[in-house]
Amino acid sequence: MSTDAATVTKRAASNGSATVVEPRGAKPRQLSPGRIGVYAFLLVSALFFLVPLYIMIITSLKGMPEIRLGHLFNLPAEPTVQPWIDAWFNACTGRDCKGLSPGFLNSVKITVPSVIISIVCASINGYALTYWPYKGANLLFGLLVFGAFVPYQVVIYPLIIGLSSVGLFASLPGIIIVHTIFGMPILTLLFRNFYAALPPELFKAARVDGAGFWGVFFRIMLPMSVPITVVAVILQVTGIWNDFLFGVVFAGRPNWPMTVQLNNIVNTTTGVREYNVNMAATILTAAVPLLIYFISGRWFVRGIAAGAVKG
Amino acid sequence: MTSVLVKDVSLNFGPVEVLKALNLDVAEGEFIVLLGPSGCGKSTLLNCIAGLLDVTDGQIFINGKNVTWEEPKDRGIGMVFQSYALYPQMTVRGNLSFGLKNAGVARDEIDKRIARTAEILQIEPLLDRKPSQLSGGQRQRVAIGRALVRDVDVFLFDEPLSNLDAKLRSELRVEIKRLHQRLANTMIYVTHDQIEALTLADRIAVMKGGVIQQLDAPQAIYNRPVNRFVAGFIGSPGMNFIEGKLETDSNPTFKAGDVSVPLGRYPFDNGVGSRGAVLGVRPEHIAFGQGATSLPFSQHVEVEIVEPMGSDTLVWTKFGGQNVAFRVESEKPLTVGERVVIGFDPARASLFDDADGNRL
Repeated sequence: MSTDAATVTKRAASNGSATVVEPRGAKPRQLSPGRIGVYAFLLVSALFFLVPLYIMIITSLKGMPEIRLGHLFNLPAEPTVQPWIDAWFNACTGRDCKGLSPGFLNSVKITVPSVIISIVCASINGYALTYWPYKGANLLFGLLVFGAFVPYQVVIYPLIIGLSSVGLFASLPGIIIVHTIFGMPILTLLFRNFYAALPPELFKAARVDGAGFWGVFFRIMLPMSVPITVVAVILQVTGIWNDFLFGVVFAGRPNWPMTVQLNNIVNTTTGVREYNVNMAATILTAAVPLLIYFISGRWFVRGIAAGAVKG
Repeated sequence: MTSVLVKDVSLNFGPVEVLKALNLDVAEGEFIVLLGPSGCGKSTLLNCIAGLLDVTDGQIFINGKNVTWEEPKDRGIGMVFQSYALYPQMTVRGNLSFGLKNAGVARDEIDKRIARTAEILQIEPLLDRKPSQLSGGQRQRVAIGRALVRDVDVFLFDEPLSNLDAKLRSELRVEIKRLHQRLANTMIYVTHDQIEALTLADRIAVMKGGVIQQLDAPQAIYNRPVNRFVAGFIGSPGMNFIEGKLETDSNPTFKAGDVSVPLGRYPFDNGVGSRGAVLGVRPEHIAFGQGATSLPFSQHVEVEIVEPMGSDTLVWTKFGGQNVAFRVESEKPLTVGERVVIGFDPARASLFDDADGNRL
């Protein structure tokens, strides 16, 4: 660095320029070739991921005759929202032609209770594991985290047997239970790490102040858990909303979530393949997680970082 | 009357013995400081007294009642933590009232106690603020208030001033002392800061390795440390240790290299014979120049290093071939290489056994 500065000064002096700038204040920013390279790479990557989205949006706004012309990148000559309306109300999944709207409702019915129940359970889990360690707590925690690495497909069949033996297979409560169970490892880890990072004196002080298990949890810990709860909500909403496998297996035909219905719409092979309707349906299905990302991306990143650093 | 009695308390974390059959008897209204390096078990002992940790063995009595199995809230204690541990989402008032609400104290009684506490600690203007809006000193005051408001007999302080800067620390130190004089509660105070210990304590318990090394008044600990660890831990700058031999054949004498120190005036603890020994002399007990020659022992030495410290100067020299520091007033100009005379009274020195480090 110092030699660089010296050569710069020397060059300036040999050029005979009288205005050798004495360094003072903030260092002037310069666009180095490396920086330009980084920006170029970012731009290319952004385009790489945005081009499919662009094609999806413009295709969904075109009529079928225009799509048949094959100009993939052209903007719609006669924009129409009919494909969107069809996707929502009229698209056929098998014999029913009610569009995606029942699936949307099903997805809401599955996601909302699953998110709430799993987060409530996981926060209590994390709190108890951090502050009320009992015999074998670490072993239990280890097993729970191990659960995060078990491929879902392995446990599907035993779960089907189990749920059907208690009469919950192919029902709304069944799918909610499944989502709660599978959210437990990662959410417990998230909450435990969050609580473990709080100063332990806080818990001690509350104990001296006479608060018990639930008193400490509700009065001290829960009000402090807002950031991590937001992260958990984001994780669970996107995860459960995007789920296809559990939905198709455990929900049962009347409760199939939006993802399953989307699949059925797109894969229906009778008649013409309506690309515009398929595109619109796909965007509609992806809209909820996308919206969540856009609204709360800041929180999401924060939570991921919190979980990663504080082990 | 005994306020807190710790009886044969042991605590193991797995195979690690943190406290070893520890005994401590704290009188009512006494200010006890648990002092020791980190990892000596002082905070652990405090947590055991508070009931935040279960002891492996032994008993704890508070006001004559066996509280070994009691919950923290039922022990009649208030506790102040190093990190303040204020509840961040509650106001100062909420922090103060939390324990009282849990105990089911009536509303007007809560208000009365908060008003009294706020007056004692001068935090009335802060009552409706959140902890995040307070400075470090104010936070610690609120934390003390949270213990105060519970109207308990025993206060436990876990390094309460360690997070504060030096100036604030000395201010709050005085305030804690004033609080103790006003309330006359029993206080048990954990710190690793010897100045806090010496200034606040009625008695200091110096701990190491889960054992209380010495439990005594600050002056006694400073002047007559029971072993080399206590001697080295208390005092700043630290005590000089000179390794040598004790010879008790005729007159007891301490020999190190070419120096021999007559120990005729040294108060030996028990009949001791000749052996390897360590002589401990505090830098502030070594006289210099005119004053030194009149002392029972004096010696010419060469100045090696001069460290000015503001109010006084620390001078390093060789004594019997070993490094020794002594304190002089900063007005005295000393140059490196100068030959000076130093001396000390062996009666104020400490002599330790070379093998086990105990005082002779």
